[in-house]
Amino acid sequence: MSLALYRRMLSLHLKTMMNYAVGSAFYMVLMLGIYPSIASNSQAIDELVAAMPEGIGRAFNLTSGFGTAQSFISGEYYGLILVLILSVFSVLLATQLIAKLVDQGAMAYLLAAPLTRGKVAFTQASVLVTGLALIMGMTTIAGFAGAAIFLEDGALDSGRFLALNGMAFLLFFAVGGIAFLVSAVSNDEKRALGISGAITFGFFTLDLLGRLSGQLDWLRAVSLFALYRPGEIVEGSGPAPLFGAALLTIGAAAFAIGIVRFRRRDLPL
Amino acid sequence: MLTVERLTKRFAGGKGIEDVSFQVEKGEVFGFLGPNGAGKSTTIRHILGFMKPDAGRVTVQGMDSWQHQGQLQRVLGYLPGEIAFPEGMNGKAFLDFMAELQGCGNMARRGELIDRLQFDARTPIRKMSKGMKQKVGIVAAFMHAPPLIILDEPTSGLDPLMQKVFIDLVLEEKARGTTFLMSSHSFAEIERTCDRAAIIKQGRIVAVKDIHELQSMQRKIFEVTFVNEADAHAFAAARGDEAEIRKGHTVRVAVQGDYNAFLASILPYPVRNIDVFAQNLEDIFMNYYDQSEVLA
Repeated sequence: MSLALYRRMLSLHLKTMMNYAVGSAFYMVLMLGIYPSIASNSQAIDELVAAMPEGIGRAFNLTSGFGTAQSFISGEYYGLILVLILSVFSVLLATQLIAKLVDQGAMAYLLAAPLTRGKVAFTQASVLVTGLALIMGMTTIAGFAGAAIFLEDGALDSGRFLALNGMAFLLFFAVGGIAFLVSAVSNDEKRALGISGAITFGFFTLDLLGRLSGQLDWLRAVSLFALYRPGEIVEGSGPAPLFGAALLTIGAAAFAIGIVRFRRRDLPL
Repeated sequence: MLTVERLTKRFAGGKGIEDVSFQVEKGEVFGFLGPNGAGKSTTIRHILGFMKPDAGRVTVQGMDSWQHQGQLQRVLGYLPGEIAFPEGMNGKAFLDFMAELQGCGNMARRGELIDRLQFDARTPIRKMSKGMKQKVGIVAAFMHAPPLIILDEPTSGLDPLMQKVFIDLVLEEKARGTTFLMSSHSFAEIERTCDRAAIIKQGRIVAVKDIHELQSMQRKIFEVTFVNEADAHAFAAARGDEAEIRKGHTVRVAVQGDYNAFLASILPYPVRNIDVFAQNLEDIFMNYYDQSEVLA
């Protein structure tokens, strides 16, 4: 880890990170702001969801209902929008942190300084993880702030809400890890972006299809996103710790392989 | 200081470098000459540790460039052939960043270099011309006063005035004991600074020569315009194969090394004008390469 490089990269990408983080936090506050009016009609909305084909409710994580604040948020934000936002963020930033620098040639300057490649790659990975932590941290804080402003005391189950955020972070630690691995072995920025984008949204689509139809359920078995089940977390059901550990392991392994591969390969600089 | 031993790297498509060996001694300015695509940059990438050799090795002060990547950079300054700076910085921020990475505290040296190369370090990098980026790159390579500086095509993009400033800079550093490896496809650039040069062609070292020896290998074309047409013919006949008559009064003569004989041969005739054309480097290589193949 090189502090000088970390600071430089963070200042370079901080604006983008803050845009995502503020956007996400704002959306969270907005959702909590409208929740009280939804809550008073939650029964009607639950009936509406129940009337929809079963697959749709499952696909968009609406099955946990709208009875509690955390289940409303898990369905309305963590089920789809946050996942899409963070997928885009992880793939874009991971590509910029290695493949773009190699493609443009600016990596030559980092490696002409007395920094080992392992150090450079580890530092860049830390920048990505910092960005994810920043976005999830701001979103979590916004959740608590929003709950304090708009909801009655205790309406948001803090334990489950934290678990939900922790799990979302772990999912993107894994997604970011894979995107980082692709970035670390690529010479071409566009190609790295294409491959990690295809992997991420491929996983996402498999999971979505698997949830839409009972017959395609097996598709979820091959998708990373199946380990992230916001509906189950807020209900307190399902093996969340196990899934969390799996995501952490996959992410850590992907980052580690990315760093090792980057150390050993030829760079066209 | 720098040893390249039997370095080999083959790329798909038959390109690459084969069995490249040379040594650069401490305090020497070593030229690395070759046409575009001959393998200069590939060799330099191995010295910097960007690539793993298929065979052979590069050592800098005894450190293997692939094994000790990140350590030998402490003694190196590097100017890439194609400069690309990280985005979103101005020149000063970039140089601050590089100084921090290199752990160099000497800002006075940097200010002095910026003054000499005359540029505004606060210009955002994306607004810089090629020449200006080159200047920023030169400052980044020199500012931490490394004992070995590697320059890949250093004067490309610099105007003649700045080329001169740059050459002075190299000569001053050389006087302080700094070692240089400088690649170029221009003989003129190498001629003014280097002690020795290696010539590389199609991935192989063709020769490692003293610079004076290389100068003598370079043929010069003299275009002599005589006052009388008859003199032109007489002169051309005397020079034989080396001479060629151009429109009436003018004769072109190729001269390699022996300038005295050439001067003696034009002395008897009244001369109106003489032009000199240096043979370009590619032609020298061609000559050298053809000869060495014949000898082999």
